[in-house]
Amino acid sequence: MRISKTLLYLVIFIFLLTLPLYTGVYLLNVMDIILIYMALALSWDMLLRSGQISFGMAGLFGVGGYTAVLLHLNAGLNPIVSIILGGLAAGVLAWLIGVAVLQLRGMYFAIVTLALAEIFRVIVRNLPDLTGGPEGTVLPSAIFAGNSTKTYWLTLSVALVSVITSEIFRCTRVHFALTSIRNDEIVAKSSGIDVFKYLVFIFMVTSAIQGLTGGAYAHIYGFVSPEGSFSVDFTLLPIAMALLGGMHSTWGPVVGAVLLGMVSEFLKLQIPYGHLLVYGLIIVIAILFFPQGIVGTLGKNLKRAGGA
Amino acid sequence: MAVLKTENLTRHFGGLVALNGVNIEFREDEILGIIGPNGAGKTTFINVIAGIYLPTRGKIFFNGEDVSDQPAHKRCRLGIGRTFQLVRPLPGLSLLENIMVGALFGKGLGKEEARKKAEELCEFLGLSDFTRDVTRMTALEIKKMEIAHALATQPKLLFLDEVMAGLNGDETMEMIDLVKKIHSRGIAIGIVEHVMRVIRELTHRVVVLEWGELIAEGPYEEVSNDPRVITAYLGEEA
Repeated sequence: MRISKTLLYLVIFIFLLTLPLYTGVYLLNVMDIILIYMALALSWDMLLRSGQISFGMAGLFGVGGYTAVLLHLNAGLNPIVSIILGGLAAGVLAWLIGVAVLQLRGMYFAIVTLALAEIFRVIVRNLPDLTGGPEGTVLPSAIFAGNSTKTYWLTLSVALVSVITSEIFRCTRVHFALTSIRNDEIVAKSSGIDVFKYLVFIFMVTSAIQGLTGGAYAHIYGFVSPEGSFSVDFTLLPIAMALLGGMHSTWGPVVGAVLLGMVSEFLKLQIPYGHLLVYGLIIVIAILFFPQGIVGTLGKNLKRAGGA
Repeated sequence: MAVLKTENLTRHFGGLVALNGVNIEFREDEILGIIGPNGAGKTTFINVIAGIYLPTRGKIFFNGEDVSDQPAHKRCRLGIGRTFQLVRPLPGLSLLENIMVGALFGKGLGKEEARKKAEELCEFLGLSDFTRDVTRMTALEIKKMEIAHALATQPKLLFLDEVMAGLNGDETMEMIDLVKKIHSRGIAIGIVEHVMRVIRELTHRVVVLEWGELIAEGPYEEVSNDPRVITAYLGEEA
């Protein structure tokens, strides 16, 4: 059972790695978007496993993007190094913020994160000498000179970082800590769990992933701007994907990102501008009829069928 | 020797005095009963000792160390374990995993050791079918799981908050035997209970709380004949 599962993952991984051999540029570009959103959806879900909802994803995504672009442009760092530093910057920032605001829980924490995203945008817009102000900053060229195969490998790596982190968390004591904190903080504390430390830790790690993703995104498209890099899309779409696919798991957000990513790409071609409406409807229907998400609902039915 | 000692322990909630100047000593080899009418402050007492609330005034000494300002997770790691009056299983984790949480964090064991510890405790308490979902368990099983969860942190002092509530006669007998077995492992026990038969059967000493104050202390036979205790439970004669 275990061996066949490992084999399955290996086959999927090799297929994804060699995807540029069988497909064209267009599909690779679609994959880039799906993988970027996948990393974000999964990072959001990882924090959700502790019971905390963040609406600040776009903020940390933008911070990672700006850090990566500015370090590359002003300090002449290698793009890949600058992307990694973008992730670290977002992580350190989240640590500082987390220590200050993670006394708050639930809706109060969510509102603070929502405000944070806005604050970063305002700061960036008002530092024209450093950030280019409202116009943003354009790179002389996109990463890998726009080579779609290498770009795809970059987004694949970012998504893999997110998937592997999520799986590590699911298989270690972190899973037990987060599940306990989500269900009952008093029980968690009484079992010896340092609730505050774990919340700061998970907020920091998920924010670092969001910063890393933002850095990759900024280098792929070759520019950062207050409206583009801090767009609310980078908060709302990943949340929708995680909810559609199924919360509190690795494969839920992954499946959600693939499905919604493809659907939105298809709809964009069929009904320009109308696609967001259909997109919204899909989310409403999914949440009404599969509150566990696709993976959660399927998993339950499979378990039932297997047990009967 | 006293495993736990409180000095002038006081806790206010706004204008309400839930505990007022309570001095209690738990000896390391005893089962101490904590009784009193509803609202006397029994559960608040456990919560203050476990660190869920900090005391407004007064001190708590555990094994001679002042733990009054320590947060709950540190007190758990020092060896103060507790169950909850209203059972609080963690859904999303199986029966065995619920118990493992205690061993992983209270005792700092690795995952495999924690699993072994949890399995051993299940056997000790007579729990089977480890991978079960916690939403499909009987009252007795959930109570046992909570005890196992607390035991997995390897407490030196264990508080049982109304573990007999909701159990039928046979189950109560089984639970009484279990408490004795736990005590024979060298764990001091503080037990809050309304069923006096259980208190008589199990405890070496009893403390009585009323309106947050300690009104009597001593062996059950003595305390149960104390006129102040009888008044507290039955009220003044008209």
